[in-house]
Amino acid sequence: MPESYTLTEEEREILQELMNIAFGKSAADLADVINTHVELRIPDIKLMPISELPAYVQEKIKGYTNIDMVEQSFYGRFKGDAVLVFSQGAGRGLISLLQNDEHEALESDPIDILETETLMEAGNILISACVGKFAEMLKDVVTYAPPMVVFNKHYSEAISLNHDKKDMAAIVMKTDFTFTKGDVSGFLFLITAQESIKWLKEALQSFMEQYE
Amino acid sequence: MIFEQIFDSINIGIVILDRDLKVYGWNRWMEVHSGINKEKIKGKQIFDVFPNLNTPKFIRGCKSVFTLGSFCAFSPRLHHYLFPFKKTGYSNQRFEYMQQSCRMGPIRDENNEIKYLFIYVEDVTELACREQIIHEMNLRDGLTGVFNRKFMGERLKKEFSRYKRYGGVFSIIMFDIDYFKKVNDTYGHLCGDFILKSVSSKVVSLIRDIDCMFRYGGEEFCCLLPETEIDPARVVAERLREEIALQENIFEGNTIKVTMSLGVAVVEELDDSYERLLQRADEALYKAKAEGRNRVVVSG
Amino acid sequence: MIKKILIVDDSPVARRMLKSCLPKDRGFELFEASNGKEGFEKYKDIRPDLTFMDLTMPVMTGYESLEEIIKYDKDAIVIIATADIQMKAIKTVLDSGAYMVLRKPLKEEDIQKALSVAEDTLLKQKGSVNA
Repeated sequence: MPESYTLTEEEREILQELMNIAFGKSAADLADVINTHVELRIPDIKLMPISELPAYVQEKIKGYTNIDMVEQSFYGRFKGDAVLVFSQGAGRGLISLLQNDEHEALESDPIDILETETLMEAGNILISACVGKFAEMLKDVVTYAPPMVVFNKHYSEAISLNHDKKDMAAIVMKTDFTFTKGDVSGFLFLITAQESIKWLKEALQSFMEQYE
Repeated sequence: MIFEQIFDSINIGIVILDRDLKVYGWNRWMEVHSGINKEKIKGKQIFDVFPNLNTPKFIRGCKSVFTLGSFCAFSPRLHHYLFPFKKTGYSNQRFEYMQQSCRMGPIRDENNEIKYLFIYVEDVTELACREQIIHEMNLRDGLTGVFNRKFMGERLKKEFSRYKRYGGVFSIIMFDIDYFKKVNDTYGHLCGDFILKSVSSKVVSLIRDIDCMFRYGGEEFCCLLPETEIDPARVVAERLREEIALQENIFEGNTIKVTMSLGVAVVEELDDSYERLLQRADEALYKAKAEGRNRVVVSG
Repeated sequence: MIKKILIVDDSPVARRMLKSCLPKDRGFELFEASNGKEGFEKYKDIRPDLTFMDLTMPVMTGYESLEEIIKYDKDAIVIIATADIQMKAIKTVLDSGAYMVLRKPLKEEDIQKALSVAEDTLLKQKGSVNA
């Protein structure tokens, strides 16, 4: 990997601390929006070539056999993809959490539409809470593509390689979360591609300058 | 100036709300479809004008835009619409209201503070109609127009789990056309198809709206009778048998009469799945055939 | 008067951020620890006037370390500095005897305010000992 695409030990530490702060704030905001406590574990930060990403993700989620996923791209100077991985069927647990107002929908609509929509909403909220707070601390504003839901995949197929990106470096931030109500948990991966790394290094430095 | 023109000429609705959910912006498209001028609605609380929006989901959406800066979607598949507008055009009979795909997101000031949220509203009625047609096509048998076997599985599964959860009762009738192969061999396959269609439409005309008829395969059919005990189910089966036996099917000058054998079963405590119930009805049907055809046999 | 300050946080960056918010002209003696266990050990050693403590740390969390410190010295002034600002976390540490909870990222004015209230408390503590 070229020098400019790696993070120094110091940059990694700043990033870690910033993520801790951002995720703490995200959890509080989430509680406010969906009226339930969400536990977010301290994020684990890794820098790796994209070619190693599938194996890394597989290793983390191997406790699940079948999975449902929500994928969402975010755009700003901080740019990349967020991938949420739930154990298969988690959507049903979330329905009781988010759709308590929509019993009628439950009667008249096929359950899979409701499940898709619920996963989408939960994913959207969780991802924007985490990505948005982090970007905000580095004075960036991000927008989001609509989320995509993928049902019932085997865990080993979670992430496939996009071949024209395979030589690129990625910063991968992994956390796990639990919605206390509804008893739903899963993993969140934030994958930022190479283009963002240069900006990130600068942003981290200038963030620390206020503490010199 | 430029943006204002786009704002008013674009073919989607745009609504801008402030943090108190009072209307700040309302484009021409919204004026046209709601019949409310922007001067009239500006500054009004959105719930005062559209009380139907006052749902936990909508409020959660607004909150997540203002606190998290997220974008959220209200898909037509689940919500059908946010703003109850009459549909436009005369062609579609399926929906009374315009089907909408809506998206919501933040609008920031120069300091990146979120001051407003936007909602854009897209008319997707056409698309929803097409989707519904395709969906229905997927459920029906192409030849006879009755529901197909795939849908039968889904429908019976649902009925069965409702029974397991809430109790109640339902019955099914399995039936087929006697000596159907002979019809095919004597008059040809086109005639066979004609008989299948004619039997199907007769049966559909004899059962209630809440009942469902499925083509199980070949010349074999099934009827689901919700909320029906075994005795009335047997009466229905008997009536179907009689009517079909009397029906004269005229194909290319030939008058062809067919008869049917029918097996009836009511759901029971002992059934552990809907497949078990189907099997019992099927066994009754085979008994009817073995006993000489053109008759009804009740399972159990 | 505050003389000795102990900072317990596993992140060197977080410790640096905190130190940069402390006034430079007061001649504080600063001590650092990188987990709850080390924090408690140093507390007993140094007997700082004021302790800043993070919550999520390896080996021993801030929650546990806080409890140990208060058990050892009920008048200890421990200020929790955390990113987890949910009511549940705040309630837990206040119940275990935390002096105050500050939210990360720390701001200079928050620290100044915290220092001046802590100083008042220290004076009162000393007063009551003398009386």
